[in-house]
Amino acid sequence: MTNQALAANVRARRLRAAATVLQYALAIAIVLIVVFPLYWMIISSLKTSEELLQAVPSLWPAQFRWRNYADALAMAPFGRYFFNTVVMTVGIMGLQLVIGSFAAYGFAKGQFPGRDALFIVVLGALMIPIQVTFVPIYGMVAKLHWINTFAGLIVPHAVSAYMIFLLRQTFKSVDDSFLEAARLEGMGRVGVIFRILVPMCKPTMMTVGIISFIDGWNAYFWPKMVTTTSFRRTIAQGVYELKRSYAGLETMNQNQIMAGAVMAVVPIVVLFIVLQKYILSGFSKAASK
Amino acid sequence: MRERDTAVDAARRRASPRVRRERFKDFLCVAPALAFFAVFVYYPLVDLFRIGFTNWNLIRDEYKYVGFKNYKWLFKGSGLDTWLASLKVTFSYTFWEIVITLVGGILLAALFNREGKAFAAMRSIVFMPKYIAISTSAIVFMWILNDQYGFLNYVLGAFGVGPVAWLNSERTALTSVLILTGWRVVGYGMMIYLSAMKGISKDYYEAAELDGAGALKRFRHITLPLLSPTTLFLFVTTFIASMKVFQSIDVMTAGGPYESTNVMVYWIYDLAFVQFRVDRAAVVASVFFVILLAFTAATMKISNKSVHYDS
Repeated sequence: MTNQALAANVRARRLRAAATVLQYALAIAIVLIVVFPLYWMIISSLKTSEELLQAVPSLWPAQFRWRNYADALAMAPFGRYFFNTVVMTVGIMGLQLVIGSFAAYGFAKGQFPGRDALFIVVLGALMIPIQVTFVPIYGMVAKLHWINTFAGLIVPHAVSAYMIFLLRQTFKSVDDSFLEAARLEGMGRVGVIFRILVPMCKPTMMTVGIISFIDGWNAYFWPKMVTTTSFRRTIAQGVYELKRSYAGLETMNQNQIMAGAVMAVVPIVVLFIVLQKYILSGFSKAASK
Repeated sequence: MRERDTAVDAARRRASPRVRRERFKDFLCVAPALAFFAVFVYYPLVDLFRIGFTNWNLIRDEYKYVGFKNYKWLFKGSGLDTWLASLKVTFSYTFWEIVITLVGGILLAALFNREGKAFAAMRSIVFMPKYIAISTSAIVFMWILNDQYGFLNYVLGAFGVGPVAWLNSERTALTSVLILTGWRVVGYGMMIYLSAMKGISKDYYEAAELDGAGALKRFRHITLPLLSPTTLFLFVTTFIASMKVFQSIDVMTAGGPYESTNVMVYWIYDLAFVQFRVDRAAVVASVFFVILLAFTAATMKISNKSVHYDS
């Protein structure tokens, strides 16, 4: 009897060990598939043109051609793209956070007639993407002479309905007694928002700020509409512009195009690694609402 | 009803100037955001429908109202075939992105649902592609999918398959774009499902185990139903996002070959900024908006009945 039980136990344990090994193997295989395009981008960016076009592609460059990076920089004004992207992204993030905090306070804690009806107006904006309305917005921006300007890049993205939604939810969870105490000490609304609510909701503020930053950094659709020259182009368009600048000779210059891609990807990957805890918590928050 | 109305009126009359001033200041907090939505979201939507009734194009400044001419072009004229083809490719792209996000997401969630640093690190890696600009990853994938020198065709060749034309063939262009999409979104689906799975009480599983339910049965009868709100969230958000697909199409195919990847937003862009037919672009965008709205509303309505809520 006991022998049989023992044998069953051993079998169960072996089965479990086999399942663990299988789980690790499958997980590692998937990680390798996901990483491969990034690996291939880096490796290709360091190859010579001859090696790039070998019939049997090499998994490691025979010789490293760092010059590809200098060549890519000579083909496209990456410095300018970076500058434009940073100004645009920081501008959008700053405006979204400030205007969003005010609005979230008003909708979460404010007392005025029609508050909840007006909040529906905010939520409704989520259903009207710029991909639908860009033609009239372009007309408006053109009339204001905002084509190829930071104003044109930033202002149409200055408020995020989604951010107001998330911040309102978080501000609501703060107990009113904190706000009343602050008011009794003579603090005005601005003080209550930025010295009480925002610090108390720091994790959420971080999350929405980072998501806004990444969205801005990777924005493509509207920047493409509103910029016509490389003067105000952003990095998300930059790599594509680099590729196009080789007109017809793209294949043999893939190493330089990949070098441009590496330069565009590195900042965001570093940011992701450093701040991923906030990014992840943001998504679970969004999904649970 | 009447009594309550008068009570509210009375309260309003009683509101002192100080209280009213406070209310007004509260309203001022939301005013900038509301003004923004009025100017940059709602007004352009109204303007979009108005432009649809004009003959405006970007070449000349003046325009006049032409009634339903552009709608006739879309529903009865030469625009119809392109429109139907574009609808078809947009929906089929959306269908596959949803399938990848939901099915791939939940499978990976089950696979990567393990404690420990190694798995946490691997999860982050699988999730990361979502944060890389689509345009940049599209260019990397174009190189991998290159029909002559691409790595994918080299690997397939080793198995005696191919070479596949990928982006250069109308039969495989959409698939090529979806390969990039899959790489980008599957980790996102996984992360959303994993965070929801963490919220499921262990008691359910223990009870089921006592009843002798195997791992698959537990997944099927506990995990899946309790994840249905998450599935709905992913379904709706993925639907809205993927219907708007533009970036990967613009970089990888420009709607081609032979309009085989001419998704709706790309077509609107092409009408407005390549063909300069702003009037037609406005009509296509207006109809597209109505379709988006109708589908989202329908999804919400159906799901309210069928989603299982754990509370």
